[in-house]
Amino acid sequence: MEANKLLFVVERDVRLFFQYKFLIIMRAIWFVSQIALFGIIASRLVAVPDYFPYYVSGLSVMSLYSAAIFIGFDIYEEAEHGVFEYLLSLPVSRRQLVLGRSIGGGLRAFIYVGPLIAVSLYVIGAVNPLNFLLALFSLFLFAFGVSGFSITVAVMIKSSDRFDILMGVLDALIVRLSTAMYPLAYVTQANPLYGWIANFNPVTFASDLFRWGTGIEAIITLNNPLLPLLGVMLFFGVFMFLGTMIYDRRIEGGGWQ
Amino acid sequence: MKAIIHILEHDFRNFFRYKWWLVGLISMNLADLFIMAIVYNRMLNPDVTNTIGGYFQFFAPGLTVTGLFASAFMIGREINMERRREVHHYMLSLPMTRFELAMGRVLSGGLRGMLYMSPLLATCLILLPNVPTIEQFLLILAVLFLLATGISGLSIAIAVSTSSLEKFITARGLVYYTLFFCSSVFYPLYLIQSLASSGFPTVLITLAEINPLSNASDMIRSFLLGYPSFSPTMVFNVVVFSVIFTLSAAFAYMKIIERK
Repeated sequence: MEANKLLFVVERDVRLFFQYKFLIIMRAIWFVSQIALFGIIASRLVAVPDYFPYYVSGLSVMSLYSAAIFIGFDIYEEAEHGVFEYLLSLPVSRRQLVLGRSIGGGLRAFIYVGPLIAVSLYVIGAVNPLNFLLALFSLFLFAFGVSGFSITVAVMIKSSDRFDILMGVLDALIVRLSTAMYPLAYVTQANPLYGWIANFNPVTFASDLFRWGTGIEAIITLNNPLLPLLGVMLFFGVFMFLGTMIYDRRIEGGGWQ
Repeated sequence: MKAIIHILEHDFRNFFRYKWWLVGLISMNLADLFIMAIVYNRMLNPDVTNTIGGYFQFFAPGLTVTGLFASAFMIGREINMERRREVHHYMLSLPMTRFELAMGRVLSGGLRGMLYMSPLLATCLILLPNVPTIEQFLLILAVLFLLATGISGLSIAIAVSTSSLEKFITARGLVYYTLFFCSSVFYPLYLIQSLASSGFPTVLITLAEINPLSNASDMIRSFLLGYPSFSPTMVFNVVVFSVIFTLSAAFAYMKIIERK
């Protein structure tokens, strides 16, 4: 019964996401044009072997990241339109509401990116089923972690404009300072500080694990998949906990206004 | 002329209301230049390096055009919002002709783009090896202004033709991805042309060749980097784009916002 209530919250967030039809179309156009135009041409621009499948797999993780971030925007919409009061009046506990939102935010991102991952797999080719399942699991955790991160930032910043700007800047920095677009060796060569940051970046962990799972780890020099897996789990744990705790505190007594 | 200046003042005041948005946009542009371009510099194919030099230098003019595009396109978002909130009735009630109103909006979009782009162009002037002559510098400014006006016109034409913000954003995304990825902003034009032998659609290659973003980026590169060589076609393509979209935006703005 308690789990059912949690599922209702998750279901609501998943349904809400699929109302943004134009946004979904736009992201799909972005994904396809990145593969069909940027990916193909950039693979001729660089001297990295097999750069095209490398880039396509990184693109899946970037899409997952930006879809999971979207839950923060929903929180602002709800605060502006008075939906918060409705949510608080529902017969679910605060904890179920908060946890449900984090899970819903991650799950809907995963459902959305699912077909895009299928496109990536088609482009990349061979897959080791066992590795791939582990990589998928880590992507799940990554999506929930990003969703928790977005909720944490959204409830700490009260202006939707500032949130929009901050997430844009963070997106630019987090994605560019990761191995989503380029191998770690080149990032480190470019600037050791960039390489150091990329080493601890959750987008790096998720990208490397996804590539390992899809069998193109030869160009990522991933010696031990356990380390990025632990990194993703830590990221998930910290932001699920933080997001849940801060959201839980802020929703009482009009703290979101 | 006075009426157009009032519209410019109105739109510039609005522009500076988004100061945090502008700071965010600049940060994203700088992240592209000082992170992505530096890393790609290390990964560059030796054949490409021989042709273009470094990626960082190659990308800096492309980034200037990217910034110009994003800021000049902002006017469309504002006009779309005015239409949805019915502020356009107030704009239509102002004591000026429809043409003055429409041209003022197109011009202000373009000038705002120029203002935003100027620090990025200054970065190119500092970091790229060649120093342009006065004539070359003035030609760069003129072409970028025409490009900004054309982009502003394109965004206004989309803004008045779409009824919701979501549709506007979707149309903007479609235009953005097509124009940017099919251009020499991120990679040299010859690489796109070389895809013809691999069955890449010819229409996309032609689009990249006539794309005003390609032409403006390559013109800056030709003066500041020495690659590719300058061709009057670069200026011609931008002029054609600007004339078409400035006039169609003015016409669309005058006709569509009067409806209902």
